[in-house]
Amino acid sequence: MIAILFDGIVQGLQLSLMAVGITLIFGLGGVLNLAHGQFAVVGGIATALFVEAGVNPLLACALGILSAGVFGLLVDRTLLLPAYRSAGEERLLLGLLITLGLSFVVNGYLDYKHANISLTLNLPTPSFEVAGVTIRTASAVAAFIAILAFALLFAFLKGTLLGKVIRSIIQNEVGAGLCGINPGRIRTLIVTLSAMLAGLGGVAQGLFSSLGTEMGNELTSFALIVAVVGGVRSINGTLAAGVLLGIVNAFASYYVGAYLTLIILLGTAVFTILLRPEGLFAHRT
Amino acid sequence: MSALIGAEEVEVAYGDMPVVRDVSLEVRQGEAVAVIGPNGAGKTTLFKAIAGMLSPRRGRILYEGARVDGLRHYEIVKRGIVYVPAERELFPQMTVLENLELGAYTNYNSRAERLQFVLHVFPRLEERKRQMAGTLSGGEQQMLAVGRGLMAKPKILLLDEPSTGLAPLFVSEMYRQLSRLKSEGLTILLAEQQIPHALAFTERAYVLENGAIRLSGNSKDLLGDPEIQRTYLGMA
Repeated sequence: MIAILFDGIVQGLQLSLMAVGITLIFGLGGVLNLAHGQFAVVGGIATALFVEAGVNPLLACALGILSAGVFGLLVDRTLLLPAYRSAGEERLLLGLLITLGLSFVVNGYLDYKHANISLTLNLPTPSFEVAGVTIRTASAVAAFIAILAFALLFAFLKGTLLGKVIRSIIQNEVGAGLCGINPGRIRTLIVTLSAMLAGLGGVAQGLFSSLGTEMGNELTSFALIVAVVGGVRSINGTLAAGVLLGIVNAFASYYVGAYLTLIILLGTAVFTILLRPEGLFAHRT
Repeated sequence: MSALIGAEEVEVAYGDMPVVRDVSLEVRQGEAVAVIGPNGAGKTTLFKAIAGMLSPRRGRILYEGARVDGLRHYEIVKRGIVYVPAERELFPQMTVLENLELGAYTNYNSRAERLQFVLHVFPRLEERKRQMAGTLSGGEQQMLAVGRGLMAKPKILLLDEPSTGLAPLFVSEMYRQLSRLKSEGLTILLAEQQIPHALAFTERAYVLENGAIRLSGNSKDLLGDPEIQRTYLGMA
């Protein structure tokens, strides 16, 4: 029981890592990124390739996360430009089509080039015991990484000028412009940062279980559900929703099986939109 | 004295519909100038064009002798033209202090000194400084919007309807503070529907109707003009 709960929390934290990127890119750029899971896969698979090439695993992880960031940067500066040039609904629709297309391309490329590569990171001590409960070291480390990443993200958003600038654009892009802030430059930074967080999520997935090239769409779907339940402009909400849905996911998979689980998760998302259209924790960024 | 900022035969359109037509005006250094006129006359559109949020279809906007039409609005802020819209456009889930801090984005190194100045002008904001902007009253939000604008150390402040939605007491208070800012040398271009306040506060005024300037002159003279009194002040 406790083991399932713990697994759920860890899985949920990883989902939050990805979903927070969707939240940030949507909040700042007005683009709902349907290739976000692919950012995670690019990070994870790059890590696997570096490991295969004989790079030290820790360094490989860092390089993998960096690769995801560079990938995000390139996407922002090239593919997403037409979307940024338009506004409102048009930007949202263009963004959906462009990122959906991108997800196909990434899936196709990885399937063609690296079909048999997957990322599985093994730790020296497989498990340890706390108060009679056996905990997998990998789960604990994955949880720690996610919590640390969120703590840093919150400190950055609350405590630095750049963080405040990011929050200001999410809350009111017109107001930010009136202060002399150029939203375009900040947007590029955020897409890069979000891609790196997704990459980190991918690496953590490799630690927690295994990350395959085909997992992009699945990760995108889960992250989208989390972002919607959390309120697609709220970072606190995204974190909470990730943990909540992770727990729901773990219990549902255990008791009713994987197929029904996805339906339960989607049902949770639909109910949240019906009951609280702005997400679980509306009006908090 | 030459103009700090000037519009020359400016036309602004939404789609094919010109909302501002052939408007020329100027504001000199240290002056306060009003643009008055009924709702929908094009005051906000004209201000947005000067602030770089809309591009004029024709005409030029000159600032310190150089053209600024065509610059993006965030670049215009850097040059010292700061626009405070009637909608205020605050950051509702950030504190008063954070809102003010972001106002100093283009001028970040002197933010502490600016903050002291703004809190001195609007002591009410000092009392509310840790409160979220979204929880302030309408009058306080307006003070915050003007205060945020002042943080950038503007050379000219474009104030769009600073009295919108304010109780009469707050309107008088706002104008008292604006007079003080003006006496300290700030150049102000003001759009206002509260005509008596606007004309009492400014040196000169333009009357905008249907997107075109119909009258202009000294504010004092306009206040005494029988036609203005009949049309805008409801006097027989």
